[in-house]
Amino acid sequence: MSQLLPYVGLGLLFLVVLGLWVRQSFVTRAGRAELLVPRQHRSGVGRAAPLRDLGERIFGPEDWDFVSRDTSSEIQRMFQRERTILALAWLRRTRMRTSQVMRAHVVAARQSEDLQLATEIRLALSYLLFLILCDFLIGLIWLRGPVRTRRIVRQGFHWAAGLRATFEQLMAIVDPANRRALDVGFNQGTAQS
Amino acid sequence: MFTQILWWLGNATEAFILARSVKGKIYRKYPAFYFYLSTVLFVELLRFATYTLQPSLHRVLYWYTEYVAATVGYLVILEIYRHALKSSPGAARIARTFLLFVLAAVILKVMMNALSGPAWSPAATSAELERNLRTVQLLLLFGIVGLLAYYRIPTSRNLKGITFGYSFYVFACVMSLAFGSLPDYALRPAWRLVQPIAFLAALFIWGGTLWSYQPSPEPETKSEIERDYKFLSEQTNRILSRARSYLKLGGEL
Repeated sequence: MSQLLPYVGLGLLFLVVLGLWVRQSFVTRAGRAELLVPRQHRSGVGRAAPLRDLGERIFGPEDWDFVSRDTSSEIQRMFQRERTILALAWLRRTRMRTSQVMRAHVVAARQSEDLQLATEIRLALSYLLFLILCDFLIGLIWLRGPVRTRRIVRQGFHWAAGLRATFEQLMAIVDPANRRALDVGFNQGTAQS
Repeated sequence: MFTQILWWLGNATEAFILARSVKGKIYRKYPAFYFYLSTVLFVELLRFATYTLQPSLHRVLYWYTEYVAATVGYLVILEIYRHALKSSPGAARIARTFLLFVLAAVILKVMMNALSGPAWSPAATSAELERNLRTVQLLLLFGIVGLLAYYRIPTSRNLKGITFGYSFYVFACVMSLAFGSLPDYALRPAWRLVQPIAFLAALFIWGGTLWSYQPSPEPETKSEIERDYKFLSEQTNRILSRARSYLKLGGEL
């Protein structure tokens, strides 16, 4: 039975891709319109300030600190409910705008003769990671609300930083020369993001 | 009885599609696909003649001709690749790399099999060989359909029909041959109907989408910014990184 697994796996994967392509083929006219829409939005997404500011305000602790200090529990619940709706809308908007940019990229890239396979794979993985993170956060906010999600995310970043520090200490003991190379890589990665 | 109905219905549909292609001159646009259909029809009729006139030869002929159909199927894939990606040089470049990678993997696998066993044969059974041929086809189609979906490459209704119908049939072949190699499944008569039913479904798809010739959509005109791929990919990368940084929920944490 285990000999079937590669065939079944490949078959299922193929069905998913075929399904996506067929679904997309039915909305061809919308797809052609996308060629123009992202270009109009491209500069909008590039202007980071409004979206970022909005995100900072939605997830920032100031409003919640005020509400939790000076108001009744009913108002606190109302605030949480409203803020959840707002946070979900913000995340979906961010997701939609980024998807538009990615779509504009693939439509333009497919015609480019000097397209680089490695760059395309890197961009595709980066986009996939963004989508996974975004959907994960949407789920988390829907379940726990933006205030608690922010705490979880903050905790997640602290764990990641802790893990990195432990890993660096370990590398310093195991291979001091390699650690220096790793430091450069980490710093470059941080600078890029 | 049901098998016979399927068989006659399949042949009639094939003949109808071929006749329609002659009337609408579509065969000139997709010669490999119509050659494949003609081959399949010819093989079916040859099998029928052998079964009626020389039943002892039928079994041997069946498996040999099964390879013919599977091999000619590669020409269909090549035609899909040529038509679908002709106006998208970037995607075509990735497809070429992928096809070469699959080819290298197949050659490597065949060589490893040849070296690992002293009495190596191409496949233990005829069904296994056909399954392997179809699996490679599925991999190639996976690459092409994946690129069509990812790069949102516009295709004509005719090409969509050929690609979808053939992909569906190859998928059904791989699944039925893989499950059919298990002793429990091979004995069930219903399992043998999967391929003919899938082929009939593909024929109906082709019949509907190849009714008349539809030209491929015109390629979009390139703007200056699109010509500079490096600039474009850097821009996209920057925007993706920035969008990801938003997910820290509120900037600095």
